[in-house]
Amino acid sequence: MKIGRRSFLSFVVGGAAGTAITPLPWKLTDDSSIWSQNWPWTPVPPDGEYSQSDSVCTLCPGGCGITVRKVDDRVVKIEGMKGHPINDGGLCLMGLSGLQLLYGPTRVKTPLKRVGKRGEGKWEKISWDEAISEVTKKLADIRSNGESHAVGSIVDSESGTVPNLFKRFLTAYGSPNFMTMPSIQDSYGMTLQLMHGVSAQAGFDAENADFILSFGSGIIDGWGSPVRMFKANSAWKANGKKVVQIEPRLSNTAAKSDKWIPIKPGTEAALALGLANVIITNSLDSKKISQSTGFESFKKLVQNEYSTDKVSKITGINSATIVSLAKNFARASKPLAICGKGQGSIPGNLNEFMAVHALNALVGNINEDGGVWAVTETDYIKWPELEMDSVAESGMQKERIDGAGSEYPHAKSLLNRLAEVINSGDGSLEVIFVSGANPLYSMPDSKAMKTAFDSIPFVVSFSSYMDETAGNADLILPNHVYLERYEDVPTLAGLSKPIVGLTRPVVKPQFNTKHVGDVVMLIAKALGGGMADAFPWESYEACLKETLGVKWDVLVKKGFEFNGDKCILEGDFNFYPEAMKSLSNFSPVSVEGSVISYPLILIPYDSIRLANGYIGDPPFAIKAVEDTVLKDKNSCVEINPKTGKELGLTEGRYAFLHTPRGKAKVKVHLYEGIMPGIVALPRGLGHTAYDKYLAGKGCNFNELIGPTEDPVSGLDAAWGIRARLTKV
Amino acid sequence: MKEEGKHKKAKKYGMVINLDECTGCGACMVACMAENNVPFKEDESNKLDSIAWMRVYKLTNGKSYPEADICYLPRPCMHCEGDHGHSPCVSVCPATATDYSHETGIVSQIYTRCFGCRYCMGACPYHARYFNWWDPVWPEGSTKYLSPNVSPRMRGVVEKCSFCFHRYQLAMDKAYFEGRTELEEDEYQTSCTQACPAGAITFGDLNNPEHKVHQLAKPDNKHGGRPGNPNVFRLLERLGTNPKVYYMSSREWVRRAGDNYLDNEDFAKNYRR
Amino acid sequence: MDSALIPEGVKRCSFGKFALGIIIVGGVLLWGVYAMLLVWLKGLNQTNMNDFYGFALWIWADLGVIALGGGAFFTGLLRYVIGKDELKNIINCAVLIGFICYSSALLILAIDIGQPLRGWFIFWHANVHSMLTEVAFCLSCYFAVLTIEYIPLILENRQLNKVPFFHNLAHNMHEVMAIFAATGAFLSFFHQGSLGGVAGVLYGRPFAVREGIFIWPWTFFLFTWSAAAYGPCFTLFVTRLMEKITGKKLVKQNVINLLAKISGWTMGTYIIAKIIDTWYWAAATAPALGLNLIDFYSNNPFYGIWILIAEIVVCGVIPAAILLTPKGRSNSTLLFTAVSLACIGVLINRWVMVLQVMAVPVMTFENWVMYIPSWQEVATTILPVAYGVILVMISFRYLPIFPQERELNP
Repeated sequence: MKIGRRSFLSFVVGGAAGTAITPLPWKLTDDSSIWSQNWPWTPVPPDGEYSQSDSVCTLCPGGCGITVRKVDDRVVKIEGMKGHPINDGGLCLMGLSGLQLLYGPTRVKTPLKRVGKRGEGKWEKISWDEAISEVTKKLADIRSNGESHAVGSIVDSESGTVPNLFKRFLTAYGSPNFMTMPSIQDSYGMTLQLMHGVSAQAGFDAENADFILSFGSGIIDGWGSPVRMFKANSAWKANGKKVVQIEPRLSNTAAKSDKWIPIKPGTEAALALGLANVIITNSLDSKKISQSTGFESFKKLVQNEYSTDKVSKITGINSATIVSLAKNFARASKPLAICGKGQGSIPGNLNEFMAVHALNALVGNINEDGGVWAVTETDYIKWPELEMDSVAESGMQKERIDGAGSEYPHAKSLLNRLAEVINSGDGSLEVIFVSGANPLYSMPDSKAMKTAFDSIPFVVSFSSYMDETAGNADLILPNHVYLERYEDVPTLAGLSKPIVGLTRPVVKPQFNTKHVGDVVMLIAKALGGGMADAFPWESYEACLKETLGVKWDVLVKKGFEFNGDKCILEGDFNFYPEAMKSLSNFSPVSVEGSVISYPLILIPYDSIRLANGYIGDPPFAIKAVEDTVLKDKNSCVEINPKTGKELGLTEGRYAFLHTPRGKAKVKVHLYEGIMPGIVALPRGLGHTAYDKYLAGKGCNFNELIGPTEDPVSGLDAAWGIRARLTKV
Repeated sequence: MKEEGKHKKAKKYGMVINLDECTGCGACMVACMAENNVPFKEDESNKLDSIAWMRVYKLTNGKSYPEADICYLPRPCMHCEGDHGHSPCVSVCPATATDYSHETGIVSQIYTRCFGCRYCMGACPYHARYFNWWDPVWPEGSTKYLSPNVSPRMRGVVEKCSFCFHRYQLAMDKAYFEGRTELEEDEYQTSCTQACPAGAITFGDLNNPEHKVHQLAKPDNKHGGRPGNPNVFRLLERLGTNPKVYYMSSREWVRRAGDNYLDNEDFAKNYRR
Repeated sequence: MDSALIPEGVKRCSFGKFALGIIIVGGVLLWGVYAMLLVWLKGLNQTNMNDFYGFALWIWADLGVIALGGGAFFTGLLRYVIGKDELKNIINCAVLIGFICYSSALLILAIDIGQPLRGWFIFWHANVHSMLTEVAFCLSCYFAVLTIEYIPLILENRQLNKVPFFHNLAHNMHEVMAIFAATGAFLSFFHQGSLGGVAGVLYGRPFAVREGIFIWPWTFFLFTWSAAAYGPCFTLFVTRLMEKITGKKLVKQNVINLLAKISGWTMGTYIIAKIIDTWYWAAATAPALGLNLIDFYSNNPFYGIWILIAEIVVCGVIPAAILLTPKGRSNSTLLFTAVSLACIGVLINRWVMVLQVMAVPVMTFENWVMYIPSWQEVATTILPVAYGVILVMISFRYLPIFPQERELNP
């Protein structure tokens, strides 16, 4: 049959019309839309049996109680635990995004051994047995060479069973080099030591105070136990209590305070003493304190050296403001002064801490309702006495590499000095253990820290995440994350009633990880001899149960227990300890750099939306960061529009930020809430490790600043650094 | 049949956010993302396409240092009632993919119905509606934390805050199971309310005088729900959107920033009520 | 080689030249098609739209082509219903342009939605309160009408017309065209209006919102009236352009004059209404919402208040004045200037009613946001232009679009 043009046309037209009246096109239309509603690449979360369990968040030292919601064996949400004494149902955004750390792409899934160059990111997966024998072999060699003191460890804090296992391990091994990440707790501890002669921490009865004078503490920016401080702040608002914030930048805390008083940074101690002067001169001081040791000398100091006019000149705050602030503070029934800048990750200037503490003492609020309490953790860790062998004995006789206890007799740990000691050749380490810390990111002058690490032949990380330090390690022995493990969580963080919480496995370990406590014990046992005997427990869990004793049952049931005592302050309060003598001639804490090449001053600022310690921001948290803080791949610096005008920098422009320690490309954000001449940069950005959601975003403040040794404590007192901004 | 007297009174779920207490910490944003399976991309610094059902805005008073002041303002969906449920967005949706519930006062969004015309986004002056420009992608393993109570959205549809409506449904299921038809105030709370560390968010039935939201906002239902509390205001009150999210602030500049005013308008006199 | 298909008695360029033209424009068309496929396969992330600009270039293009295509319904109304018989000499051109514009509009809508496979939900789950529902229904129906109006034109092709069935069909369709024209005019009135309503009902957007009658805001009527005024201008513009390209007179001057005059009157009345509307909005509507007229135009880094002046004065009052004066109409340069300005004017109006509505911040703490379309958006917007050019080329070559052509070019 020949198909003519006409018949072909009829066929096509007829066919089209015929198809249109069949259900086919309609069915296809319907099916395609149903398909679009069930795209296979859009996940459908499976349903299952719902349950929940309580635990404790360990992402910061705040110690919040959490309740996790589960569907079968999946955790689907972390919420604040209702009725918990710290957070009572509330939770910060880090705590809320914890599941992104548990299930996220940044986990180290199995023990890893470096195969490429350090930091190159080439790893070989090894078994736990191999990993432990690797470490053991190294440690055995070093010990047999009599170099046991060349092994060090860096952990997040000094309290709790895990840090104490590390400490015990090093002691039994023969090394004094147990180091902890620095914080204002170091300074507060030393202040109490020097002024009260007790070994204790400062606790603040913030909820009952009625006039809070904060010397730059980020009350609602993550200082202390963050959620607890948020709640206290809300209670102050509801009850008409006053908050005065002193700092050069309008932080969130400053904005929410009743009065923001900008101050020349670094002169806070002078202001505290100036206030003391007004209080004493006007006889507003608490009379019970005037009998204290050193009061007369203190009085003389403030009256001679800290007259209102002089303080006004030093701090840039006008005299009337100083006088009225002092009077209001002293006349309040429960005044409370606090210090430690931002989130308190830098220990700060000891004189400032002592001056502020003296101010508290002056208004009689030490160990009083609404005041400062000297508190101690109840020491539930009562392990059997260590039997040290001769190697251990001689190793422990050696001076610590960081000079704590020797050069700086009051200090326990001075991690801020480690980089310089190693880099200048004054000391060296053979092995370093890092657990619960990320010093290559979060220590000031992190580049110098990395250089120091580069010269340590064997770096072992216990990190659960591929952070900067883990990425530069030789061996990673990944710990369970907090949602997969048991651990005691003793919380001081400025609480007037310290608490111990219990974090517990709400899910089974997702990967081939091991509890760091178990790993430490396995290494010790593999080393044998006295090392093995020092750890008589069969597992970390057994150790924890035995250590907590009767507390265990309470913690399992309730999740937390109050765990602290107010310290009995025997003896005298000393208003004017020897260490304060340098205040007789005030000079602000110096900042690095010359005024001529660096006309501006760079200060960091902390935001609760940016984690800057061991963990980095999970994707949800980084998503919540404003575009005036992080835009594209750039950190934004805040400068006053006046400064911007002088430099010819407008909103959103790119600029180079130079400091004596480094240089970074930044975006300019003009902000009326910052003192002219000052540049503020957020902390917590500029990671090079973790996942693509965090790495490569912004610049790390710690690469632009170096530590400044406090002359008395040896701790890092750097609050800023001189800087210059240039157009790109 | 006196049983009929028990007929349920219509609810009007709403929120009062205390801006004096809000610290701008962003916990509400993340609590919402975690509760509602909100996706995230590699770069979320472009806020013009970053899905945040709850977004915290930073307001400034426009003054120079050192008189400058800032205030944070969390912005969920306002669940506008408009005039008798004629919300700006609901009335424009061509496919009835978003609806105003007269039973709860909640503006819903049906993702499988929405075909992505985005008219509702144009209609919403609060920018509370977000479009899925991209396929949602979770990193490997991360789908494990997705909640089965809220379905993840596919590319090409609009999404927004639902006042955690699934929590209302779960609470109602539980109540019915226990033979009740009414919920207690604390039985239905949104994720952001629950998480707020500062306790700045209060959620409940604005029609129920026993609920805290009613007591704080003192809504005047005869006048489109206008707040009776002089420190309370709503965003863009003058547009007549009749939103169900109220804000509380002791600072006048903050209350004034809630709406547009002509320069010569005496805000204090006319609008403090 | 295709001479058998070319209408009798008219001269056309060589097939080679024609094919070359088609290939060049076809290349542009393919570029647009590529962009369209990208958008369909990868989604709307291919555009630079965002959550502030939910409506952008495409919706503007949509509103724009519908306004420009308005010549079809208004000319049809004048020719078939009101009985302006001379317009039969230009109606084919108007219908062709209308067909191109409306098919383009539908195509753009199909690209613009996030879930094209569910686009039909607008009919199935229709929300009668939504202006967009009204637009979708009327647009589709009117497109069907335009197709019916365009079919007899195709059937008049020399070869097709030889088939008795097609010949008779075309003839009969012409007979009943008045009914379709009337239906089309009715439908057009509503969808042109409801497109205006799309912006006018946005009571959350003080820049767009207007008061009105019953459910229809003033923009409803302004859009219909502006389409009636400016649509014929586009018909004239295209006719003039074709005359210039082909170097032939295609329509007699009296026909042009008549359409220009009618257009002038509608435009004149429209622009008065538009000025009153703007004035009332600036003086009453906006201040009641706490806003001054200038608030809508300040903070705009690009064009500020000038866009309002350009729309109303330069591209409204001036072309209307030209078209209303016999001298202006008869001077071909002035006439061409007027219709060009008019086309720009209506495009500016649609731009403002889409893009600026999105851009003007409503909350006091938000800022004006700029938007620059991506190449995919630009390509898909040019796609219908290329398609239109091709369809015009083919139609002009093979169909008797201009009945007076033979007479004017013996």
